[in-house]
Amino acid sequence: MQQVFSIPKSIKQNSTFTFCPGCDHGVAVKLIAQIIDELNIQEDTIAVASSGCSVLLYNFLDVDCIESPHGRACAVATGIKRAHKAQGNNKFVFTYQGDGDFASIGLAESLHSALRGENITAICINNTNYGMTGGQLGPTTAMGQITTTSQSGRNKEYHGFPIKTAEHIALCDGTSFSARVALYDVKNIVNAKKQIKKAFEYQKKGLGFSFVEILSTCPTNWKLSPQEAHKKIEDELTKIYPLKVFKDVEND
Amino acid sequence: MSHIKIDSSKCKSCYLCVDVCPKKLIKKSETIGKTGNCVVEFDDKNSQCIGCAQCAMVCPDMAIVEVYR
Amino acid sequence: MSEKVLLKGNIAIAKAALNCGCSCYFGYPITPQTEIGEYLSAKMQEKKLAYVCAESEVAAINMALGASSTGAKVMTSSSSCAVALMQEALSYAASDELPIVLVNVMRAGPGQGYIFPSQGDYNQATVGGGNGDYKTIVLSPSSVQECADMTYKVFYLAQKYRNPVILLVDGLLGQMAEPITIKDNPYPNIDNSSWILNGAKNRASRKIHSLEPNPSILEERTLKLHQKYLEIEKNEVDWEEYNCENADYIITAFGSMARIAKSVADYYKTKGLNFGVFRPKTLYPFPYDRLRELSKKTKIFFDVEMNLGQMHKDVCQAVSQNSQIFFIGKPAGEWLKQDEIIKAIDNIFEGQYATSI
Repeated sequence: MQQVFSIPKSIKQNSTFTFCPGCDHGVAVKLIAQIIDELNIQEDTIAVASSGCSVLLYNFLDVDCIESPHGRACAVATGIKRAHKAQGNNKFVFTYQGDGDFASIGLAESLHSALRGENITAICINNTNYGMTGGQLGPTTAMGQITTTSQSGRNKEYHGFPIKTAEHIALCDGTSFSARVALYDVKNIVNAKKQIKKAFEYQKKGLGFSFVEILSTCPTNWKLSPQEAHKKIEDELTKIYPLKVFKDVEND
Repeated sequence: MSHIKIDSSKCKSCYLCVDVCPKKLIKKSETIGKTGNCVVEFDDKNSQCIGCAQCAMVCPDMAIVEVYR
Repeated sequence: MSEKVLLKGNIAIAKAALNCGCSCYFGYPITPQTEIGEYLSAKMQEKKLAYVCAESEVAAINMALGASSTGAKVMTSSSSCAVALMQEALSYAASDELPIVLVNVMRAGPGQGYIFPSQGDYNQATVGGGNGDYKTIVLSPSSVQECADMTYKVFYLAQKYRNPVILLVDGLLGQMAEPITIKDNPYPNIDNSSWILNGAKNRASRKIHSLEPNPSILEERTLKLHQKYLEIEKNEVDWEEYNCENADYIITAFGSMARIAKSVADYYKTKGLNFGVFRPKTLYPFPYDRLRELSKKTKIFFDVEMNLGQMHKDVCQAVSQNSQIFFIGKPAGEWLKQDEIIKAIDNIFEGQYATSI
């Protein structure tokens, strides 16, 4: 008999996730830790956490970590990657951001990092609202979706349209990899891990900006059970935000 | 004998593992956890666990800490 | 390295930065500091150092924030209204204890203003535009030579105190050429191995953060920062005195205005009046104690600034209550000339006090 699952080495000992019950953030952090273990990069990794629930990453992941001002994670990661390169070191640098951080307040920093082909990886948790502040309308809130600042549902007259982040990033010439994944069932979790790992590997190969958008639940603010939230992703959100690899320089 | 180990101090009672177990070996226990709901327990009297680790994969809190096959 | 070269202030800063090992520069163009980025772009790419033409000043300072976490010597430069954009990251960097060097070659404000020389950012630099209890060390050169010399010093102080440091340069100095000597960097390197982020190899992982949900830890951390600022105030305050001992009148001025103030003092000497000039070289920490001491003998002060009285409040705070302080200044546009200052002082002597020209 062999052990087929254990807590990843790159998770801090005795750490307990402080995300809400059923929140997909926990699964995403676990996948990242597993991939860091598998690629054996724990000692070379510098993670950039951002504002919102994703900042909690640094309490759980056992790698060097810096918190970025809201939206600036890709700029901070750029500085870290380039500064180490100037000193002759090749470090593994990735950001862990929410959709508000990556695609609203930080869109300029995110897009320009992709355009420069900055050799970093960005992971964006898209839960279609501002989670930590209680579920307000964000850049990815779906048309018709009710939030605390779109109480009769998002409509184009008041709020305009949501952004399809992975598609936009795929359009940048400096992007090596851009994909959208989900975590609502085992099959998708397995696929998410595969795509995140590929994004990490592309950075290791020096191919440029790699990006994975993770469609995630926010059961607390969606006011759904974890099960209902997963069903919402499967039935509704994947129709708006298709799960797909939008750019893959090694396989396109 | 395949089995899992649960750290119930980490369980937040989302029950995603209960739904995913193909053999229905994880269930609500009598113990109240930190969210005020019953934490899960592993109940495999007939040694049906196949060690597929799907429960560990979906658990967002890494409360399923070990899986053996 | 000892021969004289004719350099603009901006180029002197860029050369000195390279000389003392600045390996990362991130910037966005804005007059009157653009030559710093232009000069460094060529030199740094040649040496395979980190140089990014950032998409905004916000991105530039945040790249600097990330780069400084690696222990590298990091610089960004900008001007007034664009330095305003950087205030958030400065507050973060102070909280995170990250050594960033920011050169602000001032232009006229408020708002976009124009590219005229100005000293309008004294408040922005010394009081800070970011949130919370934090301080940035601020140095103010008054010659191109000092632009170079103080560049060495700001890198040193940033590393020594793990704090953002601002080199606050008048637009006049950034654009003015003077013969200077680029000396060797006189300051030692500071060991930063205990805190930098370079991968958790053979040590515990580190996290650099400002978010702190525990109130007592947040309070403790802010008090620790405050202790550091007190230490800086004790150790690093610096100023220049020009005939201040036994002066009957002292002109207080910083940056390029202090040079004009010296000419004014020389003029009054020919009229038989004892004028001195007191110039803070560090705007934070401000030399309150020395100025207070001088005010025991000198009872009349003229504070001259190319703004509407920003350092003035620090001068007022410093000098004794028995002293009189007259403010002479004007907002940026045409700069304040020697004869205008003399006229203003003469008017004050004749009892016609005006707060600005």
